[in-house]
Amino acid sequence: MRFKHTAITLALITTLSACGGSGSDDSSTETPVEPTTGFSFAATEMITNLTDDVIVAGYANLAAEGDALLLLATQALLSASATQADLVAAQNAWKSAREPWEQGESHIFGSVDSLSIDPHLDSWPLNTTDLQTQLDNNSGFDAETIKAWNDDVQGFHTMEYLLFGNGVDSNTKLIADLTTSEREYLIALAEVFRDYATLLDDAWQVNYNAENETAIPYADLLKSPGDATNTIYSSQLAVIEELINGMIGIVDEVGNGKIADPFGDSISTADTSKVESQYSWNSLTDFANNIIGVRNVYQGEFTGASDNTGLVDFVAAADATLAARITSEIDDSILKIQAISGSTDMPFRQAILDEDGRVLVQSAIDALTTLQTSLESDVLPLLSDWNS
Amino acid sequence: MNKLLRQPYWFAALIGLSLSACGGSGDDGTSEPVQPVDPVVTYPNYTSVIALGGDTTTFDANSSGHGFSTPSVNLTEDELELHLEGDANFEASFTTAPNDQHPELDGLDPVFNNADCNSCHQRDGRNSTPSVAANETRIKLGSADGIFLRISKASAEPCTQGTAENNYCAPIKVPDFGDQLFHRGVLKARADWQDNSFIGQADVYLSYERHDVVYSDGQTVSLKKPIFEVENPYDAPGETKQSANVTSNLLQDDVLMGWRNGMPVFGLGLLEAIPEASILANVDADDSNNDNISGRANWVFDAIKAQNGDVTPVSLGRFGWKANTPSVRVQSLGALRGDIGITNPLFPEESVLGTSLHDSYLTRTGFVDTGEGVDGAPEASAEFSDAVVFYAETLAVPARRNVDDGDVREGARLFEQLNCSGCHTPSFVTKTSGDIGGIAMSDSLKSQTIYPFTDMLLHDMGEGLADGRPDFLADGNEWRTRPLWGIGLTQTVNPQAGFLHDGRAATLEEAILWHGGEAQQSTDDFMALSQDERTQLVAFLMSL
Repeated sequence: MRFKHTAITLALITTLSACGGSGSDDSSTETPVEPTTGFSFAATEMITNLTDDVIVAGYANLAAEGDALLLLATQALLSASATQADLVAAQNAWKSAREPWEQGESHIFGSVDSLSIDPHLDSWPLNTTDLQTQLDNNSGFDAETIKAWNDDVQGFHTMEYLLFGNGVDSNTKLIADLTTSEREYLIALAEVFRDYATLLDDAWQVNYNAENETAIPYADLLKSPGDATNTIYSSQLAVIEELINGMIGIVDEVGNGKIADPFGDSISTADTSKVESQYSWNSLTDFANNIIGVRNVYQGEFTGASDNTGLVDFVAAADATLAARITSEIDDSILKIQAISGSTDMPFRQAILDEDGRVLVQSAIDALTTLQTSLESDVLPLLSDWNS
Repeated sequence: MNKLLRQPYWFAALIGLSLSACGGSGDDGTSEPVQPVDPVVTYPNYTSVIALGGDTTTFDANSSGHGFSTPSVNLTEDELELHLEGDANFEASFTTAPNDQHPELDGLDPVFNNADCNSCHQRDGRNSTPSVAANETRIKLGSADGIFLRISKASAEPCTQGTAENNYCAPIKVPDFGDQLFHRGVLKARADWQDNSFIGQADVYLSYERHDVVYSDGQTVSLKKPIFEVENPYDAPGETKQSANVTSNLLQDDVLMGWRNGMPVFGLGLLEAIPEASILANVDADDSNNDNISGRANWVFDAIKAQNGDVTPVSLGRFGWKANTPSVRVQSLGALRGDIGITNPLFPEESVLGTSLHDSYLTRTGFVDTGEGVDGAPEASAEFSDAVVFYAETLAVPARRNVDDGDVREGARLFEQLNCSGCHTPSFVTKTSGDIGGIAMSDSLKSQTIYPFTDMLLHDMGEGLADGRPDFLADGNEWRTRPLWGIGLTQTVNPQAGFLHDGRAATLEEAILWHGGEAQQSTDDFMALSQDERTQLVAFLMSL
């Protein structure tokens, strides 16, 4: 792709030179160039489907999970007579909410970024010192107050820490160990999460910019590239480039960040404090969901849903073999991540400290590297061959 | 300034012919055949240029939200590795000291604006413009906001000649505060932390003042201007400007304040590699050519020269909204220490060192966050700092899009016709060798023909944009010409980003309409264009 664009640039420079550069009427010397190579693909249906049935549907699921978590937390934990089963139900609700969030990380662009929802909801490591200070010195927490506090005392992982404990030796917590202050803080955090999830859902479905009452849903911007009023996406190529780079971004983050950073170069440099979702031992599920999110975008539907148009169809229009290979590499990455737990259901934070576990971790990193290379070297360049 | 560029009637007719030839607007297909005439329409020589950053230009992400976040494509393997290390550092979120597990990340100052670089430069672009919803009159700045206030005391006389005695005309710090207002804090930053948890030096509120601009064709554009209110300063909790007895140093009448947004961070190494002589060649402080455009250089304190013992530690200002920093290194490491509060080899002392807030904080928290690591070194290592600087120096400029579009081409012609290029100088060639930021420059930046569309100089932009706050030799009306490369991708990168120093302009059209002072004639001429022509000019900008 880089070569092709360079060639285009050179061609334009040549045109300008032929016209004498500045001062010439170069507009009259140009003749339309009909594409003689490349491939054709009608992208409208794919963009519409990926926007509505993958991205928007995923954020709608997240908002629904936000409602459910708040309801459950309020009902289950507010009462002094709450049982262990109530706490487990709240823990499960937290895990359920993680699923659409982590899958949605395959398309981190637009409102999730501009509204700073990602740092608000998913910052780690936590500042457990400040958190404990606030728990010790306050009561009757409210969501609006907490929103003004630093990100390292709110969001998913603060809820996780309070629900599951410190995660060092176990991911279970007794309801008796959940203090009144922790319960109140949890409920306020669930409300904060619900609010941000709703805000994100609204940004995609109602209005992407609260400052401008006439702003349209972000989904509509994605579905109308090239329209005169669309200042975000100038072409369908721009949207597909966004989607492919989104996939590359999360594959890179999982392989080279979320897994590789705590993995270190050896057991002695492994660092469990860098593990995402270390308190709940949900790390491998998180990582797998990240790549399942990639599969959602690539295939055009959620796992198990009926077949729909996705990026696989765009790639297949250029190279059916490549399209199948990417499908295989995505599936392989998911399987290798899930396989890290081995036969003993070992959590990731333990696996990076275990010789056998580290072999499995390295295998997952290798699979992700292969996938990332293919996306960068084989899929992204297709944009320059596409006769859009 | 535009008199010579205004075109007579016959020229407009020729433009119409040209548009017809291009299949653009102006041809309904029903007119009588006319004899072929060679239209003589002049398009500027940058009309069809795509690779704005020369060989550094990226084509892989030049249409999407990743457009500002790609490494220069001509880096060596080792340079790419350093760039990626800097990328990770750029996203590192700093924490309250002490952080026993990650001491390399602690030291977030007791007061700060954000905890990481990325929050003010979202996806390496501009930060989101704060939203004030319809049911609100104002908002309090918090962790989601990348905008902040610069502050200083008014001087009795304008400072026009920098000397060691006048600190080279640097802004005069507000006693017990400094020259930047930190609205966020760590939990116990303030003595009254139990009532003001995570609050910095003061609360900052933002609201918008609005007015309409009406074109002669009846089209209306609503413009907004952010207004600040500062309350609850740490030296007088609860106090406001309306208090009966204002005691806070911050709320005195002679304290000047001005909004600052984060800027995109791509292409910065190329801007620093523009030869100083090339920039100074466009200086016209006295408007000797009578085009109503001055163009002044800012000469600013250079921390690198000072650290190296230079007796005159002053350099040409290149970066910052008022060109108040000389290099990417000073800008980046100054922000690391200032905006975040992480001391580093170039700025080894906390920015609030010696203030009552800092003294009180250290006493309250046991002197664990002094700005020094356990080994007495600054909080950020030289390796960390160098990687961050290199990252900002080597982010690629995105390639242009849609250069063959008829409207884009006409927009380029109008850009020239309205003399926008009088300040937004299209092109420079970077130097062939030498240092940037005191270190040998990367080969990737050398001898590049670049199209940043800035003269890197200060211009009076009129009262509407003025913040009234001098900064070295820049006066209260002056701003450095903003580079326009990549500007069309601004809201693709961040859909809530605004334009200008405080994000007030939601669109490029609004940004144009805010241009006053030396650019007033260009703005007047823009308003005199037809709606189609205005659209064409904006289309050209969107292609950049």
